[in-house]
Amino acid sequence: MTPYGVGIGWRPEIAGFVAELPGLRFVEVVAESVHADAPVPPGLAALRDRDVAVIPHGVRLSLGGAEPVDPDRVDHLAAVASLLDAPLVSEHIAFVRAGGVEAGHLLPLPRSREAVDAVVANVARTQAALAVPIALEPIAAVFDWPDDELSEAEFLTEILERTDALLLLDIANVYANARNRGTDPLALLDALPLDRIAYCHVAGGAEAGGVYHDTHTHPVPEPVLDLVSALCARCRPPALLLERDGAYPAADTLRAELDAIAAASGYPAVT
Amino acid sequence: MTLAAPGDTWGISGPSFLGLYVALALAAIVATAIVRSLLARGHTGPGPRLTPDQVAFLNGGPQLTTYAALGGLRRAGAIGANPDRTLVPTGPLPAGSTALDTAVYNAAGKRLRTRDLTGDPWVSSTLDDIRAGLERAGLLLSRGQRGQSRLAALLLLPVIVLGGARISAGMANERPVGFLTVLVLVTVVWMLLSLARAKTRTRAGTSALASLRTENQHLSPGQSPSYATYGAGAAAMGIALFGASTLYMVDPAFAAEAEINRAVTGSGSSSGGSSCGSGSSCGGGSSCSGGSSCGGGGGCGGGGCGG
Repeated sequence: MTPYGVGIGWRPEIAGFVAELPGLRFVEVVAESVHADAPVPPGLAALRDRDVAVIPHGVRLSLGGAEPVDPDRVDHLAAVASLLDAPLVSEHIAFVRAGGVEAGHLLPLPRSREAVDAVVANVARTQAALAVPIALEPIAAVFDWPDDELSEAEFLTEILERTDALLLLDIANVYANARNRGTDPLALLDALPLDRIAYCHVAGGAEAGGVYHDTHTHPVPEPVLDLVSALCARCRPPALLLERDGAYPAADTLRAELDAIAAASGYPAVT
Repeated sequence: MTLAAPGDTWGISGPSFLGLYVALALAAIVATAIVRSLLARGHTGPGPRLTPDQVAFLNGGPQLTTYAALGGLRRAGAIGANPDRTLVPTGPLPAGSTALDTAVYNAAGKRLRTRDLTGDPWVSSTLDDIRAGLERAGLLLSRGQRGQSRLAALLLLPVIVLGGARISAGMANERPVGFLTVLVLVTVVWMLLSLARAKTRTRAGTSALASLRTENQHLSPGQSPSYATYGAGAAAMGIALFGASTLYMVDPAFAAEAEINRAVTGSGSSSGGSSCGSGSSCGGGSSCSGGSSCGGGGGCGGGGCGG
């Protein structure tokens, strides 16, 4: 993937802020929020006119579901990608529904060979409809399934190798998982195929009841930025994206977070 | 075509005169509309860069303008509302405050209620300055232009006089005058209604608002704009362009406590009614051309307005 540097998740609430970032090269938009048959939302169209790449980020595909992905949802993702002239799309390695019941949020898979097979099959079905590459994002999990056969790194590496997909690594998730499980986040970084990273998510979180939650509504904590630096020292990803999904702070605060990610990764500031 | 008969008043048959009368009345109405359209053309070419105060006044008149100032001041943490619905300063006057911000902040220091803001002398005179600036920029019709615009409805008067003369001549001639009488009465009512209403905004003003709404599309309520991110100036502009409901997005608790009327909103066809909506803003006399211009306010919503 082209090195895009530092980007930000485009949300309607802060569209006016994103539009004013002079050095911005890429944003991400929640794929399900874009109508495939309607004109591109004006804020995104203005970014496209500035040659800012817009990456559709799916949240409802349920690639980790035991049943095949819904062809309509796959078609929508593909249509949005072509509408936005996106260089790639991304989705989560998670399931959001099972047996027709919607969970309403992203649920982690057991790291079993069976789950790998299910994800690989669903990714292949999705890739068949897509004209651009897909990047897969492992999710934050506050628990592990008892029947995990594979380590996190083995699980991801196997999926990426068998699907030839790219990796969307969420640094805040890596931090959250390591902190909540008492493991070493650097050990996970060392075990992952870092050269397959398309881009990284960087987000804020907060601790509640002894568990660190990847909230996307709090400031990015210092340890997450340190992890960004540690990752970039090993293999700098082509792009890093600030994810903020609510409780949007003042423009100056958001700019400072973008600058901090730029400083931690060595990319130029976009503000 | 009915031929003239010896008994016809003025040698013109009743039906022929009715047709003639209707044609003349329609011509006068069209002429009124043309005169008004010319008066409402306003400034052509690129307009000045408008401040949120100006935009609010252009869109919704004095009341929306005070709301925009309140929203900006509230977002900046400068004012709050007491449980008794009075305003109160809660912080210093922000740097870069406009004349209206300063006047509203001062009024908050006097514990005024939101609805009494336009009656405050300082606020009122600042609003007058904003109005005058918009008139000079050709975005609002001046008082004189509004008067001329109203008077243009008098183009119907000769037609009515002619109808009246025909009615008396017909009665003297003992001819039936019922249809004509109804028509003349309708014309009189039309003229009186038309006299009472005038556009306040020029076409240049309306198009300036439209392009500002496009430019500030990220502030439209459908986007749930984050005013914490956009800041005080954007809050004022959002209220100015999209109405009082935006103040409820900026700070719902304050908006409720300050008794912000959610229904106050500029609209595409906003006219005399909106800028003279409250009695207090017209009380000063200087900002409105007296009772006559405010009297018609209620009826201005119904589209047309002669334009």
